[in-house]
Amino acid sequence: MSALFRPMARPDLERLAPFDTELSDHDRPDALSVPWSRPAPEPTRSKRWSARWISVATIIVVLAAWALTAALGIVSPVFLPSPAAVAARFVSVTTEGFVDSTLLEHLGVSLARVFAALIASLIVGVPVGIAIGMSTVGRGIFDPLLEFLRPIPPLAYMPLIIIWFGIGEPSKVLVIAIAMLAPIALSAAAGVKGVNRERINAARSLGATRRQVLAHVVLPSALPSILTGLRIALGAGWTTLVAAELIAATQGLGFMIQSAAQFLVTDVVIMGIFVIAGVAFVLEFAIRRIEAVLVPWAGRD
Amino acid sequence: MPTLSLNQVTIRYDGEPRPTIGSTSLTIDTGDFVVLTGRSGCGKTSLLNVAAGFITPSSGTAGIDGRSITTPGADRAVVFQNDALFPWLSARDNVSFALRMRGMPKAERNRRADELLERVRLPKAGGKAVWELSGGMRQRVGLARALAADPDFLLMDEPLGALDALTRERMQTLLLDIWAGANVGVLMVTHGIEEALLLGTRGAVMAPDPGRIVRVIETGFGRRYVAGEPVRSIKADKDFIAGRAELADAIFDGEPA
Ligand SMILES: Nc1ncnc2c1ncn2[C@@H]1O[C@H](COP(=O)(O)OP(=O)(O)O)[C@@H](O)[C@H]1O
Ligand SMILES: [Mg+2]
Repeated sequence: MSALFRPMARPDLERLAPFDTELSDHDRPDALSVPWSRPAPEPTRSKRWSARWISVATIIVVLAAWALTAALGIVSPVFLPSPAAVAARFVSVTTEGFVDSTLLEHLGVSLARVFAALIASLIVGVPVGIAIGMSTVGRGIFDPLLEFLRPIPPLAYMPLIIIWFGIGEPSKVLVIAIAMLAPIALSAAAGVKGVNRERINAARSLGATRRQVLAHVVLPSALPSILTGLRIALGAGWTTLVAAELIAATQGLGFMIQSAAQFLVTDVVIMGIFVIAGVAFVLEFAIRRIEAVLVPWAGRD
Repeated sequence: MPTLSLNQVTIRYDGEPRPTIGSTSLTIDTGDFVVLTGRSGCGKTSLLNVAAGFITPSSGTAGIDGRSITTPGADRAVVFQNDALFPWLSARDNVSFALRMRGMPKAERNRRADELLERVRLPKAGGKAVWELSGGMRQRVGLARALAADPDFLLMDEPLGALDALTRERMQTLLLDIWAGANVGVLMVTHGIEEALLLGTRGAVMAPDPGRIVRVIETGFGRRYVAGEPVRSIKADKDFIAGRAELADAIFDGEPA
């Protein structure tokens, strides 16, 4: 700085006063100021609440109808066990287990598979997405492959994976990872394509090399989009879990449900469905929290 | 002391039938404060982008002391109308970006960033996220970020264009204070006629079809402010009022009133 700044021609205290505080009335974002300072419109409080109450009421009505149907014996418990029976199963599987493992063990194995698959698809999907977003060659190579892969249901490619990779743990993880790959790669590509051109120019005129632009501008710009892709991918992976655990599994939530179905232990099947739904809900919530911490600027500019 | 010169630059964008900029020359020395004005779409940004190295001219040359400008570089820091700050970085990390790219250790670059934030009169904003800042504060962070590169030239494209009138006046004197204290040549684009007159050592007026500089007016009002004269008295001066009319005439020349 020494070379850049000569002493002020006229050091004038009044002129040098900071004006981030005193100018508050005119210098602060508000509804009338520049567009990027405007907060997104939120639904009114009353609307939000009424929707929430309708949801709660819906759940209560469905549960009541279920309990009533079971209590009146309209449907055999083999087809529809009562909510109480399902709750009791939840307790007994948690403490004593089902098909040789407790609920927590089944859950742990399933989560481990989904997260192993997530890491694998991130390692492959993010670079592929960046290649698609940044180069014509990358787009030419990977776009058709992803578009081919994306609509195929996991149950369709699973037999091929068993033929190629056997019935071990890698095959299960791979089935889930393939389901996650497209959302991650495509959202990374969208994030990279959406990078603000002026920010790249700004970095270049501040002396950043091309590699530094990639690391310090392109990647952070794409991060919100990549996290959105991760959230979608986790949903897709969790959806694929039951299919993956068709492959000679001995543990896991999907395996637990299928074993129970074979013995017509319907309360375990229903309990398993609730656990899978509950975990999906918790994961979704967790990633939204992570987004809020990691990319707090997303949607604000 | 380096001189930036655009020599008979023309720009013809891909797919455009006619050139956007037709043979335009401009020279900026260290210590100059050149203000570029003209109606919307006459090519001010395009010309500034050539100086910045964001686009290469279709013909003619852009260079600094005979070295041709081919890429953007930290010797020509840019301030953008929409600030182009990095929202994933704090205000301080935005300011120290150029220093980080050079591999300066964190403690030192933080110290320098805080110095610069003080210079743009944001002494307490360092730890803030950029979206917590108002438009005027963001522009000052953008200015500090550009100054951190220790540039020879400061290129500003309507840096005050999105600000309200009062913030804008404060920013004008801030720009003059910064310019007076820094060893830089400034090229600034603005729509404001008074702004052009008050800030510049030279005002260049562009006209469209094709975009070119049609008038250069020597203005010394910025120097008078730096020498201590209050803005109000400068603006009341009959030379200033005459200059304002002259500049407006040049900008709207050939337009029905
Ligand atoms: N990348 C581009 N490709 C094609 N035309 C452009 C491009 N950038 C600017 N133009 C055109 O060139 C003209 C001058 O634009 P610009 O330099 O932004 O003018 P100003 O900054 O004076 O408003 C405009 O008509 C604009 O539409
Ligand atoms: Mg412009």
